[in-house]
Amino acid sequence: MTRVIIGLMIVLCVLVGAGVLGILDSGATDVFLEATRPDFQKIPIGVFGFQNGGGPEWLGGRIEEVLKADLQRSLVFTLVDLPGIGVKAREVTTTDRAIFKQAAENGVSVLVWGKSGQKNVSKDSELLMDGFVYDSGSDEVVGGKRYVGSTSVVRLMAHRFADELVFRYTGEPGIARTKIVYVAEHGNARELFVMDYDGYEPKQITADGFLNLMPRWSPDRRFIVFTAYRSRNTQDIDILELATGKRWTLVSMPGLNITPALSPDGNFLAFASSQDGNSEIYKLDTRTKASQRLTVNQGGDLSPSWSPTGRELAFTSDRGGAPQIFVMSADGSNVRRLTYEGDYNAAPAWSPRGNWIAYVCRTAQRLYKVCIVSPDGQKRVQVTTGPGIDDSPSWSPDGRHLTFSSTVDGKSHIYMVDTDGKNLERITFGGTHNSSPSWSPAL
Amino acid sequence: MSIRVAAMGLTIGVGMLLVMQAGCSKKSIQSGGDTQSSERGMAKSGAPAQSQGQVPPPSQGQLSSPSGLDAPSATFPDLSLSSKPEDPETGGLRGFDSVSGGKAPSEERLGGGGTMLAKVEPSESTARQIEEIRREQAKEQAASAEAGLRDVFFGYDSWTITEEGRLSLTQDAQWIKANTGALVKIEGHCDERGTLAYNLVLGEKRAKAVRNYLVELGVGANRLSVVSYGKERPFCNERSESCYQQNRRGHVVVRSK
Repeated sequence: MTRVIIGLMIVLCVLVGAGVLGILDSGATDVFLEATRPDFQKIPIGVFGFQNGGGPEWLGGRIEEVLKADLQRSLVFTLVDLPGIGVKAREVTTTDRAIFKQAAENGVSVLVWGKSGQKNVSKDSELLMDGFVYDSGSDEVVGGKRYVGSTSVVRLMAHRFADELVFRYTGEPGIARTKIVYVAEHGNARELFVMDYDGYEPKQITADGFLNLMPRWSPDRRFIVFTAYRSRNTQDIDILELATGKRWTLVSMPGLNITPALSPDGNFLAFASSQDGNSEIYKLDTRTKASQRLTVNQGGDLSPSWSPTGRELAFTSDRGGAPQIFVMSADGSNVRRLTYEGDYNAAPAWSPRGNWIAYVCRTAQRLYKVCIVSPDGQKRVQVTTGPGIDDSPSWSPDGRHLTFSSTVDGKSHIYMVDTDGKNLERITFGGTHNSSPSWSPAL
Repeated sequence: MSIRVAAMGLTIGVGMLLVMQAGCSKKSIQSGGDTQSSERGMAKSGAPAQSQGQVPPPSQGQLSSPSGLDAPSATFPDLSLSSKPEDPETGGLRGFDSVSGGKAPSEERLGGGGTMLAKVEPSESTARQIEEIRREQAKEQAASAEAGLRDVFFGYDSWTITEEGRLSLTQDAQWIKANTGALVKIEGHCDERGTLAYNLVLGEKRAKAVRNYLVELGVGANRLSVVSYGKERPFCNERSESCYQQNRRGHVVVRSK
């Protein structure tokens, strides 16, 4: 048992180290190792109940449910069915060592339990959650967390606890507190919304009444850049500060002003505009406001997506007649075509670890699905299958999941899937048209 | 023994990460000059810029000149990572507290749910803008219907004008030439297949193909404008070829202004 954990820790240290080196390294392809590699062994974790001490009836159950879903989605842990391995206790305390021992002997590496309720009797609005962790490797209760807040942060308490666990065992911040910005139909208009990564707590962030499209996060999560139709005849690229609702226009050229994307350092906006005749990719320095045209050809160039180092851009171009994925250096040089299979490949999204570029591929059956390709073009995998038009793939900051829109259930909704095509999960349920998801960076 | 080695490794790994993150969490003063809400330049339609929150309406002139990308005049927000303010609500993780001897973990207070998002309420100005757009559309529709302008339909993936399309445009050109005061707009539309982004480009290609053919027929280019809606404003919402066909369209309308 301990051997597994030690092995795991060593693997994880290597991963973290490689990640750090990868970021600092000047290699053009930015390949990092990742925890989705086939030999990565998930950490068996058991979750006991969260004792309910005087809060709303649903409180303990809700925390347990959200926490379990988060741990499952982390792909770092695998949930162990405790009763299934003979550990019958529902509720434990830090002193229940015999129970911990029994679970450990049955292959569980980490155990989690807690308490929830009101912080004190007099103030009924404040809720409290205590969470505790036992580690079988050290045979110790390694520690706990206490969160306090209103009913509106109960899901956040569980998300935060899940991220602490992921952080403890991988050194990565976890994705349970990340968000997704997307477009939803609202009245006769398309407006921007932000929701938790699991589809809960959607909040509207624009109310323009016409078309707002293609939102993307700033690297520090404070801003959203997007295309806004200012009237029925003209488009801008706008930027919105989430905390204040303040809004600025960054680009306002004749013709298309689409597919904005901020560089990983936040200093450059890449976008497509047709001001010079057909759609070309430009780069705007947000400090000096100087701009540079990066593509020059007769075809349409669009959808720039930055590599994690900011040194390269993947983009769509139909310079050969049909749209294909290309890669170029951030100054427009070294253009090379990346996709050769099929006659329609578009909407590239470079993974945060650098090792994949996700995009929409049209299959031989003329279905629009999500594919991934390595930046050297050597490896290509179709991630989604079946009916429905898939669009706008966007990576989770841990590089283990993709969110995208699909019409597989009739109307367009937002989904998430692991990079190997497993665990497809629909995350929007309301509304008539949810599209264009963009996953936030980690906190 | 080996546990200790592994733990050390982990500590080093985590340490490296922390060192890296330290650089990002440095607090600094937020950029100045962004005291205006929604600084939207060139509000050509006269529609008021959206204001979210209680901030005064825009007053800072033009943001960017339509003739070139250089030197838009108003301020941009500071987007560099070093300007990121510390955020106690959503900030970094703190690790687990020791609970040995029955000690309770220290308290972390989580703020009111969506604190990082400003509340958006449809304001009066938004309502005006929506009304303006609706009025404009109704006016265009009425004027276009009266003029009897015909639309052009395209094949899958295609922006080539068909023989039938040429016939329609020949008629349209006659009307436009006869009505010298009218301005005409061509909207490019696509069916729902393909990506949102590429369909915006495809829609523009279709609209420009229509415009170019009208110019070939002798219509002054200065009377023609184009806009692409991609697949965002479909005429028909079913999932069938006949519906798709209707949506692959160059929609020719008389502009309201």
